[in-house]
Amino acid sequence: MTQYLDKAPDAGRRSRKAADPSAVKVVEVLIVGAGFAGLGSAIQLRKAGITDIAIVERGTEVGGTWRDNQYPGAACDIPSNLYSFSFAQNPGWTRGYSGSREILAYIKGLARDHDLLPLIRFQHNVEALHFDGGEGVWTVTLTGREPIKARSVVMAQGPLSNAGFPNMRGIETFQGKKIHSARWDHSYDFAGKRVAVIGTGASAVQIIPELVKVADKVKVFQRTPGWVLPRFDFQSPEWTKALFAKLPVSQTAVREAMYWIHESMALGMIWNTPMTKALEILGNRFREAQVKDAWLRRQLTPDFKIGCKRVLMTNDYYPALQKPNCELISWPIANISEKGIRSVEGLEHQVDCIVFATGFEVSKNGTPFPVHGLGGRDLNAEWSGGAQAYKSVQVSGYPNLYFTFGPNSGPGHNSALVYMESQIDYIVRSIGRLAAGKLKYIDVRADAQKTYNVDIQKRLAKTNWNSGCKSWYLSADGFNSTMFPGFATQFAKQMATFRERDYRLV
Amino acid sequence: MQLDTAKMLAKIKNTQWALADIDWDAPGAELVTGDPELYAKLKVFMADLMWIEHVGARAFAAMAKKAPDDTLAEIYRYFHAEEQRHANVEMALMKRWGMLEGDADNPILPEPNINLRLVIDWLDTYSDEMPLEVLGSVIPSLEIALDGALCKFLLDTVKDPVCHAAFEKINEDEARHLGIGFHVLEVMGHGKLHQLLVKAAGNLLNPKLIIGIAAYLPLLNRMRDNLVKLGLKEERLYEAMNKYKRIGGRTEQGRRNPWFQIISHQSAMVVDRKSLYHVPVDALVRLTDYYPRRLLKATPTWVKGLTWKTAA
Ligand SMILES: Cc1cc2nc3c(=O)[nH]c(=O)nc-3n(C[C@H](O)[C@H](O)[C@H](O)COP(=O)(O)OP(=O)(O)OC[C@H]3O[C@@H](n4cnc5c(N)ncnc54)[C@H](O)[C@@H]3O)c2cc1C
Ligand SMILES: [Fe+2]
Ligand SMILES: [Fe+2]
Repeated sequence: MTQYLDKAPDAGRRSRKAADPSAVKVVEVLIVGAGFAGLGSAIQLRKAGITDIAIVERGTEVGGTWRDNQYPGAACDIPSNLYSFSFAQNPGWTRGYSGSREILAYIKGLARDHDLLPLIRFQHNVEALHFDGGEGVWTVTLTGREPIKARSVVMAQGPLSNAGFPNMRGIETFQGKKIHSARWDHSYDFAGKRVAVIGTGASAVQIIPELVKVADKVKVFQRTPGWVLPRFDFQSPEWTKALFAKLPVSQTAVREAMYWIHESMALGMIWNTPMTKALEILGNRFREAQVKDAWLRRQLTPDFKIGCKRVLMTNDYYPALQKPNCELISWPIANISEKGIRSVEGLEHQVDCIVFATGFEVSKNGTPFPVHGLGGRDLNAEWSGGAQAYKSVQVSGYPNLYFTFGPNSGPGHNSALVYMESQIDYIVRSIGRLAAGKLKYIDVRADAQKTYNVDIQKRLAKTNWNSGCKSWYLSADGFNSTMFPGFATQFAKQMATFRERDYRLV
Repeated sequence: MQLDTAKMLAKIKNTQWALADIDWDAPGAELVTGDPELYAKLKVFMADLMWIEHVGARAFAAMAKKAPDDTLAEIYRYFHAEEQRHANVEMALMKRWGMLEGDADNPILPEPNINLRLVIDWLDTYSDEMPLEVLGSVIPSLEIALDGALCKFLLDTVKDPVCHAAFEKINEDEARHLGIGFHVLEVMGHGKLHQLLVKAAGNLLNPKLIIGIAAYLPLLNRMRDNLVKLGLKEERLYEAMNKYKRIGGRTEQGRRNPWFQIISHQSAMVVDRKSLYHVPVDALVRLTDYYPRRLLKATPTWVKGLTWKTAA
């Protein structure tokens, strides 16, 4: 488990840091976060000849999502061959959909093989960013440490990295064990325990089948049932591993094929097309095949269009729910009590442990920490009505600042890394342009950003996400600032062009 | 006046209670168990009441799926669970009074009467397909008539303080069910009158709805007969039914809802003992006694969720 640094480090360390000459010099690029995005950016920047890089990471290890999400059953739901960087393919994936540990090992391998560890400053938690327009320099404020100055900043702090217990009535009174899916406690032994799982999303459907195997009793509290589709997982045969190792183009070909299969899913998931209906029929058939009891099936039937929320890919979830030691509870939760969970049908479900698979705090209407741009403008305030950016990576008024997983860059149907790679390439180009022109800063024009967003929102209006279901994709007032309304291929195409006239070069 | 459903939902969430909030071992049970005549009557009555909660429950479950907005859907989800809670409470009272058959830890659920069974069957089969207009108009009438009149009767007859404590809580829930019920009744009276009428007429011709009506009408008369047998003045039931007309009809929109009109008319006929309405309906009640049990669907599995226990 990674310990996050919330408090100031001890004084001795701080004084040593203060003497560090790097604290006063201006780093060319500072990257926040050492997950896929941060490490990927560093690798590609270096390839482009930009080497003065610092990565600040609040944890003690690289890996981000995959370091934090070590719950039993944690795995990706996009095939590993696609859920990995195209510039660092791994012939050794042991499964079609690899587990969390294997993905973490891959990320650690990236850091090692590309010699990134010397760049990373662990236990550095970013608290705020300020831009000085006169100097063209960002000041990065850190918790309990001297600030760092940087020419450009890449915010790769992850879309789903802030996990906490939800604000549920009475949660503080519970006397038993509380575990969040993204901060698993491996020392807790579930054998013989009565366990409640709150949530039935992507993490929960992976955890539940594992818990049912060991716990005495598992009660699953569901608010909204999601669409479940079968997953075609398999153990990689030795011959493919050998082939991929010997002949990387064969793996690239497989990767391409998977990419196009997922792209075609967009047709059903993003827009309401005959394919949507087809996927829903598949989902309904799958449920009918796996769930015998009519009432349970009704409880598990979603009442929104497929693709409106993340589709759950799993073969073991429905069977697990029907194990004798498992129970699905769809009554609303009234409150958490000392001994368990009280639901509205009047019962207290007494348990030893509550697993919160309740997701993450997603900053849809703001930034995870204060960001101040030209003239002190405050991004949090500007985004209060919904986040907006230019091509998801830059925001007007905040020069030399880049986002991975910025506004409207989310995939619903394809690997996040496919989107990430095209963002990274764009960022590298923009930073390269800055360096080549010996510029102070490069800032997107407000009108270019506006034109871009008018178009995005127009296209979003036609998607399933905006078809009237609540999800973390939408803000409380229904504004969609997370998803990209199109194919990954379209996203890549948009990111492949760098239109200099959309920028102010200073 | 339009009700603020968001505020109502917040209020519902803020006023939840559980079976554990009631002291089931408090003294007073002998006030029922010590009176053999009352005891026998009550045993049948409680079983019916418990199943009527379930008619409401199953209807709310269906309505949650067709609510026009998320807030109302969430409210119906709560109401569904609350009706289950009422049934659980009534089962706990039966347990307290020693009315459940079977051994103490695994008591056997009382059987619903055939008319209740038919209505539950129908709801389980068709309610998910019924438009909100139908369920949203009939549920307030059912809640007011059956739930309301029955609860009042119970409190007039039974002196056990635990029963009173429990029904104080139940009645608070029911007040909110009715508040929302009449609100929705009115909202559905918006729009062009002729369109409302055409739509209602169309629904009335739906054979599935006709089966539902054929199941529902005898239930009302059966319950009336049962209540009279128990010593409840039938006027009590009629007063409750008239309340539907009075409250539902207090606004223009409420009156424009064709389903409100249909149900009020039907209530007026139920209330009028001399009405010809009773000839076929009473015949149906007698007929249903001969309804072959093997034609009934298997008891739906949600029934297994009912319990008198405070903790699970
Ligand atoms: C359980 C789970 C399963 C998933 N499965 C898939 C999948 O199958 N396919 C897919 O495409 N996507 C999946 N995702 C999405 C996943 O988040 C992304 O694919 C990807 O891992 C994100 O990488 P990242 O580097 O942007 O962020 P992260 O991996 O979250 O890394 C961000 C890093 O920044 C650090 N950090 C955060 N804030 C600060 C700060 N203030 N200061 C310093 N450091 C900071 C964090 O500690 C972390 O190490 C999944 C997500 C989860 C949670
Ligand atoms: Fe009730
Ligand atoms: Fe009710």
